[in-house]
Amino acid sequence: MCWPSARIRRIPSSGRLVRRALVLLCLALAVAPAHALRIFACEPEWAALARVLAPQATLFVATHAGQDPHHIEARPALIAQLRRADLAVCNGASLEAGWLPALQERAGNAKARDVFFAADHVELIDPQPGAIGTPWSGDVHPEGNPHLHADPRNLLAVARALAERLGNEQPAERAAIRARLAAFEARWQQRIAQWERRAAPLRGKRVAAQHTTFGYLWRWLGIEQIADLEPRPGMPPTPGHLQRLLSGLRGAPPAAIVVAGYQDPRPGRWLAQQLGGSVPLLILPSTVATEAAEAELVDWFDGLLRELLAAAD
Amino acid sequence: MARHHALIPRLASFAALLAGALAAAPAGAQQAQSWQFGAVLDVAHTTRALELGGRDQGLQLGHSDLTASGPLGALATARLTAVFATHDGRLEKEIEEAWLETTRLPAGFVARAGRFASQIGYLNAQHPHADDFVERPLLYRAFFGGHWNDDGVRLNWTAPTPFFLQLGVEAFRGKRLVEETAEPTGNPGIATAVAKFGGDIGASHSWQAGVSHIRNRREAAVEEEGHSEAEHDHAHHHHHHGAQFSGRRTWMVDATWKWAPGGNSRGQQLRAHFEAARIEGLNRYARSSDRHEANAVALVWRFRPDWETGARADWLRVRIPHGDHFHSGLLREVSAMLVWKPSHMQSLRLQWVRQYDAVGFESPASRSVQLQYVLAFGAHPAHSF
Repeated sequence: MCWPSARIRRIPSSGRLVRRALVLLCLALAVAPAHALRIFACEPEWAALARVLAPQATLFVATHAGQDPHHIEARPALIAQLRRADLAVCNGASLEAGWLPALQERAGNAKARDVFFAADHVELIDPQPGAIGTPWSGDVHPEGNPHLHADPRNLLAVARALAERLGNEQPAERAAIRARLAAFEARWQQRIAQWERRAAPLRGKRVAAQHTTFGYLWRWLGIEQIADLEPRPGMPPTPGHLQRLLSGLRGAPPAAIVVAGYQDPRPGRWLAQQLGGSVPLLILPSTVATEAAEAELVDWFDGLLRELLAAAD
Repeated sequence: MARHHALIPRLASFAALLAGALAAAPAGAQQAQSWQFGAVLDVAHTTRALELGGRDQGLQLGHSDLTASGPLGALATARLTAVFATHDGRLEKEIEEAWLETTRLPAGFVARAGRFASQIGYLNAQHPHADDFVERPLLYRAFFGGHWNDDGVRLNWTAPTPFFLQLGVEAFRGKRLVEETAEPTGNPGIATAVAKFGGDIGASHSWQAGVSHIRNRREAAVEEEGHSEAEHDHAHHHHHHGAQFSGRRTWMVDATWKWAPGGNSRGQQLRAHFEAARIEGLNRYARSSDRHEANAVALVWRFRPDWETGARADWLRVRIPHGDHFHSGLLREVSAMLVWKPSHMQSLRLQWVRQYDAVGFESPASRSVQLQYVLAFGAHPAHSF
């Protein structure tokens, strides 16, 4: 239709408007493939990693650090973003199971069906193979703890896999993406070594936390989470559960009580007060800002370590 | 009953496809890409049955289901849902969903075929166990049998625009909306066209609006003049799966607005919802001024992660066909509810309902209290906006 101009000329003169519309449509189609890669990132940490590897890509970031990533609504605005995406980059391990399938179905974008899931490229902690969610067991993730971005070593593994996928999406860019990956790996490995040296005093410390949001951070730094403010995974803290925790924690108070920025801080604050004010409440951001790139990823880990070290003093 | 027989070969082939897909499903695949199974139990106690209501007085098994969904080959997904409910003390079973949907069509198109809920309006395509109230609005109970699913095909297109825009058409047999027709009608009996729009305003507000049109060739069989009032009453109390009131052309508009502080709907959320419908061309005896109209407005407030409260006001005005003429019908209903959701798999809801200003309806419930418990097992489909 777009090709032979001769054929277009056969359209009778009364179809001039139609011909113009056709020409415009052909122009639009011809121009369309030249756009920058459009990436739909389910969480800001994966958007940041995509920015490191493909800085020229257009990014739609579905969620932010102020939201509970398990409980996102399949909003029309997100459907419109996924509709226009060339690639979806998400966490996986069922973190988005409550909303991503609804977005995919309504977006009708075939390219957004083959989602890049970060969790497919990392070994998850606490897998529960065969676990079936019952109404009384809370939000069970049979694959394991999905909050894998809180271990910087996981970001390396995900970056390698994401670079591969981005290279497949944009073969012309493959060499450049590989070069960016190599530079990122070198810098990031240095960072990890620095962080591990700095965090040495945290090894063996004990914390109480709400949910398993920072499970990977604890494992990386050798911190032990001795209590969860949630009675069951994903269920909000109840007075009865907090009371039980309190009697257990009084004998051996933790170094800190940790809640994520998107969680209601009141249960944690209550617990800290009941423990006599000697145990600090840390409200830590669960991820980076929406516009973040590598510098903000670094700042995020720096900030987490700074707060934990101050609390452990 | 005849429709159940017609379904058997269809179900058999579906089951074979399902078994094939299960056998072919690769082990260890991403959960979102493998077959999932779930069940929902809905039990309610009602102190007094509502006019046009779907719940009996006393203890009743509501819309409970068993569902399986997952990929069918590389190009489609499928879902099969069986529903169980008691009506007038009898257990009713039916296949509510048995459909295939494409996943790889280009340019934003999605096609679906089989038995599924029409996407008209806002609530119809949603599973009733996710509703904010024990009963659907009067609009749905009067015009769509509460929840209209039918055998047919659908084609949707989502526009590549910065805001959400989706256009869709459906064609249905229509037997599950209008069971008995005045005279034989061809296929498809009912066609629909739907446009939906939506977006965000700032970080905290989101909205969706829709316009739906339904063309219905199935003219409902008209009750013979001269039937006794008692039989007339009986007809209105009998449980219908299809529409109580229908016509050739239906227009619907719906609008939904949601607010959550900073976009974090987990802790707090306010949801407002409005829906209205008008049906014209009621039957061969109808004048242009004869029409059915209904609307519903609801407000729900999540004030803690596990608690919500809400209110809804419904209004219904109909022309009740009676031989070659019509009687006027009017009904208003208000509901207020409080629900506790200890997890997203359980909810316990207490609801108060009042029906008033009734004309042409014999037994409006001046007051009814309903207690509903919904329990979900395993996986169930992600909820839409």
